[in-house]
Amino acid sequence: MNFLRLFARNLREGPYTEAFPFAPAPTAKRFRGKIEFDAETCEGCRLCERVCPAGAIKMERTAEGMTFDCWHDTCVFCGNCEFHCPTKSIHQTADWHLAHRQEDKYRMVEHGLIPFQVCTECGSKGLATAPAAGSANPPLTAEEFQHVKSLCPKCRGKFMRARKTKAKA
Amino acid sequence: MSVIERLKTMATKSPWIYRINAGSCNGCDVEMATCALIPRYDVERLGCQYCGSPRHADIVLISGPLTRRVLDATLRVFDEIPDPKVTVAVGVCPISGGIFRESYAVLAPIDQYFPVDVNVPGCPPRPQAIIEGIAQAVQIWRERL
Ligand code: SF4
Ligand code: SF4
Ligand code: SF4
Repeated sequence: MNFLRLFARNLREGPYTEAFPFAPAPTAKRFRGKIEFDAETCEGCRLCERVCPAGAIKMERTAEGMTFDCWHDTCVFCGNCEFHCPTKSIHQTADWHLAHRQEDKYRMVEHGLIPFQVCTECGSKGLATAPAAGSANPPLTAEEFQHVKSLCPKCRGKFMRARKTKAKA
Repeated sequence: MSVIERLKTMATKSPWIYRINAGSCNGCDVEMATCALIPRYDVERLGCQYCGSPRHADIVLISGPLTRRVLDATLRVFDEIPDPKVTVAVGVCPISGGIFRESYAVLAPIDQYFPVDVNVPGCPPRPQAIIEGIAQAVQIWRERL
């Protein structure tokens, strides 16, 4: 219906010119622009990397943890990554100011790092990803979430299984 | 002020733009045409004008991932444009290959063949983003002239 309103306004007021670049340009709230990544809530499932049709996302295990890189110069702003991300840690902002000089070409990257941590239960090394708790029933409380986040994958599994048995009983 | 200098000041006010379609899907071309043809965006406010002949151009916008078949033609047209010129890559295709990256049929990124100055990513970039890129190109062109 929005276009009918626009149409009516254009009939009434005639065409107009935006002041851009001398003033900000109007941008739709849902505009699909530059990718943003939040390492705090990322589960590390790498779905985004898999579904990206342009191969813009690369996640890699390094000595410090798991790195996330999205190169804006090859992203086609399809929104596939955001759609499939279970935690919405990756999302498209309405920012479209991406024009840049050639020397900055390889700096147009969104970078993130999920660091390694030491498990608070058994002391072994694991990635500090957010727990994959989408299917937990009843849902994890904030404290439980923080506790599970501080565990290694093995201890997480143990904790979740114990919780499930307790919930059933 | 000498005649040459006066001519230069005059010329920097109105760069002419030429478009090369190097195998683009037409998305970027439509947006580039939109910049000039639709009063809402009106790139001609910046003193720019699209021209029909490469020999009159100052700024060249290249779209598309540079398919193998158009390489020769594109290089030939590019050489027709007099120096100094500023090259703008419009869309992710010319910058990295975008959705066609690593295809056997395309030669992207085009900076292997053309001296690119400004990149405008997007698939396609919105008209305002292209205008932003052109504004940067005009700046570079003023430095060069
Ligand atoms: S950003 Fe989302 S989809 Fe990508 S690895 Fe993290 S949780 Fe998975
Ligand atoms: S928006 Fe599309 S192309 Fe861009 S990073 Fe996400 S999945 Fe890849
Ligand atoms: S960047 Fe996107 S819209 Fe532009 S030519 Fe390439 S595929 Fe088409």
